Amino acid sequence: MESAQLFNFATVAYLVSMVGYISYLAFRNEGIGKVASYVTYAGLVLQTIALAMRWIESYQMGIGRVPLSNLYESLVFFTWSTVLIYLLVEWKYKTRAFGAFVMPVAFLALAFINFAGISTDISPLVPALKSNWLFYHVLISFLGYAAFGVAFAVSMIFLLIDMEDRGPVRDLGIGLGAMAALAVIGYAMAAAGERMKLIFWMGLGVLVLVWFLYLVMRGAKNKPQVYLFWSMCVTLAIGLMVAMGFDIVYLNLTHTLQPGESMKQHLFKASFLSKSLVNVVVAWGLIAGLFWFIWSKGMSLKKLLVQYVPSQEILDDVTYRMIAIGWPLLTGGIITGAVWANSAWGTYWGWDPKETWSLITWFVYAIYLHSRYVRGWKGTQMAVISAVGFLAVIFTYLGVNLVLSGLHSYGGMN
Amino acid sequence: MEKQDQQGMVEVVADKIWKFFSSVKLAVVLLIILAVVSVIGTVIQQNQAPEEYLKEYSLTTVQWFETLGFFDLYHTWWFVLLLLLLTANLTICTLERFPHAWKAMRAPLKPLEDDGFKAVPYKKEIMIKGGMEAAETAALRALQGKRYTHQLTKEQGVTHLASQKGAYSRMGVYVTHVSIILIFVGALIGAFFGFKGFLNLPEGEASAVVYLRNEPLWDQIMDGFGISKSPVIHDPRGGVPAMPLGYYVRTDDFEVDYYANAGRPTGMPSEYWSILSVYDLQQQKVLEKRIRVNDPLTHHGITFYQSSYGTIPNATGRIVLNVSQKNSPGPGETVVLMPGTSVYVKSIDRTIKAAGLAPFGMRDAATGQVQYYQARNEELINPTVELEVYRGKSLAYKTQVMKVDSSEPSMPEDYRISYVDYWGARYTGLQVTKDPGVWIVYAGFIMLCVGPLIAFFGSHRKLWVRIQDRKGQAAVLVGGSSNRNRLAFEREFNSIVEAIAK
Ligand code: HEM
Repeated sequence: MESAQLFNFATVAYLVSMVGYISYLAFRNEGIGKVASYVTYAGLVLQTIALAMRWIESYQMGIGRVPLSNLYESLVFFTWSTVLIYLLVEWKYKTRAFGAFVMPVAFLALAFINFAGISTDISPLVPALKSNWLFYHVLISFLGYAAFGVAFAVSMIFLLIDMEDRGPVRDLGIGLGAMAALAVIGYAMAAAGERMKLIFWMGLGVLVLVWFLYLVMRGAKNKPQVYLFWSMCVTLAIGLMVAMGFDIVYLNLTHTLQPGESMKQHLFKASFLSKSLVNVVVAWGLIAGLFWFIWSKGMSLKKLLVQYVPSQEILDDVTYRMIAIGWPLLTGGIITGAVWANSAWGTYWGWDPKETWSLITWFVYAIYLHSRYVRGWKGTQMAVISAVGFLAVIFTYLGVNLVLSGLHSYGGMN
Repeated sequence: MEKQDQQGMVEVVADKIWKFFSSVKLAVVLLIILAVVSVIGTVIQQNQAPEEYLKEYSLTTVQWFETLGFFDLYHTWWFVLLLLLLTANLTICTLERFPHAWKAMRAPLKPLEDDGFKAVPYKKEIMIKGGMEAAETAALRALQGKRYTHQLTKEQGVTHLASQKGAYSRMGVYVTHVSIILIFVGALIGAFFGFKGFLNLPEGEASAVVYLRNEPLWDQIMDGFGISKSPVIHDPRGGVPAMPLGYYVRTDDFEVDYYANAGRPTGMPSEYWSILSVYDLQQQKVLEKRIRVNDPLTHHGITFYQSSYGTIPNATGRIVLNVSQKNSPGPGETVVLMPGTSVYVKSIDRTIKAAGLAPFGMRDAATGQVQYYQARNEELINPTVELEVYRGKSLAYKTQVMKVDSSEPSMPEDYRISYVDYWGARYTGLQVTKDPGVWIVYAGFIMLCVGPLIAFFGSHRKLWVRIQDRKGQAAVLVGGSSNRNRLAFEREFNSIVEAIAK
């Protein structure tokens, strides 16, 4: 049997477990819940064996490299770590309430790999990447990202439960209006040249930053703002996933990747960054629609959720626990990366944008860990910081390649 | 009188400063500022040439950014100052709190009095039928089952059990914080006493210096004050400053292996390596090492990393061939010649001429024909030598030998000529660094890996059990507290109470 087949079995297992967890919530049947858990365990075991086999296969091919080096492998590994962390939470907190939220992500990611036909080839590595430290670096970082992902999901649930109502429709109008205005200004400035594009991103960065700071400082007193933030985060998470899925499918239909070319360079080229105006408008239309939908249906979701999810105290604790798992992993990831760089070039820290962004992420979660000792910063603010932390994670993973390296007319970063 | 007042002032100010630096709020503020400021350096590219910046920004913007240090943000005085403030914050906060934490960790176990039981966050009273003895054994078993260490005291018919576990976990935060201080100190030592340089060294050549990207700060300062002379050699014509090594380093050999696709090199290097040897100033060989990417050579605190390579423009190297008899398995004879020249090989009584050399040739396995490909920068992907073999003055035959061959080259006579190397036309690119602080940084790394685990996954838990006789039954009062992770402690507390009640 080949690893690819085992991956397929794992995908099926996650499909069954996803359906199981959702039915468990819907019917409140313990039996179904148990079955869902067992199937998830089975899926994880299958996937673990598959990963090990893929590793062995690479040796048999004479390449001998860790299965963590391209988009296919990192997606597979991401689902593996997410499921692992989820099962830990389930076991530790004796609750299956989150399964219905986490398993769809795992299943969709795996299904998406098959559907999108992402290359499963085992390709060779350039010499600098042939290091055990690199393996530990990627492994540990991904585990950390998965823990932060779960923390983010739980914070989102926390924030939703925390809201009393969604606030006036005017807020939605302001949110949508701001989005439309920023999009139009952004495209106009990007079209006006590299310099304007840079100014736009800098301005947007400052704006976002001020908003975050406002939410953290005053968030507890301005719930509608927090709700807007919540809607935006959820929209962003879903929108990013869908857009990326679409992009990769589109890419596979129209283009073959050259060696050394990364999938990331092509993201959003079919939607937000498409050359076709229709695609761009449709993409933004869909995003606006999604935003509207989430904003207006959030409270109904809350009513449904309140019956299932544990108390806010426990949600807060799960978030903290997840960050307490993720942060040491991120620390380990940064350190192993530094040790690798030192063994390859004699410099453990070079302030390149990717490194710096992982440090920024690290700072944000350090802020989270210390803000429990700042008077008055409680649940709501903590959840907001945890969400900001995950946005930083996403930016570290995607934004550095997508946004930052696209900003400069000369030389590529990394 | 006045003097005393002044002293009072100094103390008040010192106290204020101390308070300021021991606050967690300052830590959060500093972390926010650091996070925000760090973003700037990822948006604006760092350390580019001025022309590059002028392509992107207007002159005034460039001037502003230059003044603010945005082009080398992470080394500006104010960024370093922020890091220093954070370190000061961390140090003082640690000094302030550590003694308390240490005391709390080492504090002996004491039985809890009634007031104490009132104050603990978790408590429960149960009645046990079996009497004092049974209650005591049950309690001991329950505590040992959860790995608590205990202290038992009896007074006036009352049994007190004081127990705890995980006291060491109070140190986790300090291990973490000290690790960050260590990393910072290590980085400073590296900046003061270390350097980063490079050396492009052709095969067969040696150098006693490396070229610097940055000079050790300490040497600069000492030189600036005229205290001691910096060892760095400055080129009066404004060239790159050079750092003497105190020994020679020589490239004996350099080689690249390429990934092959269906037997044909792709031009994508799979590995490259140099054989470096070190000679002392008396030109005695000290050591030799084959270095690869991720596997450097260190001598006298200076480390040489394999980082790049290249072909020397217009350089002529030496072709190294091996001639061996087809029917005898001996090692054969090594023949060295320059491209375009010939050499007489006595053992086979032939003159071999290297008529030409191409960087990238491939033999078609089926037809035996050699094809030549374009190699970027004349890179020696599969060096191929066109050979002419003469018997006396007359040409016997022509053939080609190459590094990676898909089939036997044609060798009509009873000896075999094979390709060994094309030597002396390439240089190896070495990164050279000295960083005496790196071990301190690594010590910090290790502590930073361990510290948070202790802090997050341990907790100092205390449990007290008081057993009293109440009309033949034992009244067992259990109280407990934990310095963190309350939810998990609550679960453990309940299970212990249950275990005692059973
Ligand atoms: C990059 C810098 C820092 C890192 C990585 C760091 C890391 C940590 C970690 C992992 C914890 C445990 C958090 C928890 O239990 O939830 C902690 C706690 C703490 N940190 Fe820091 N810290 C940093 C800077 C500082 C600074 C500058 C201060 C100065 C005031 C500080 C003061 C504290 C205090 C008071 C605690 C709580 C200790 C306790 O539980 O009693 N930290 N820190």
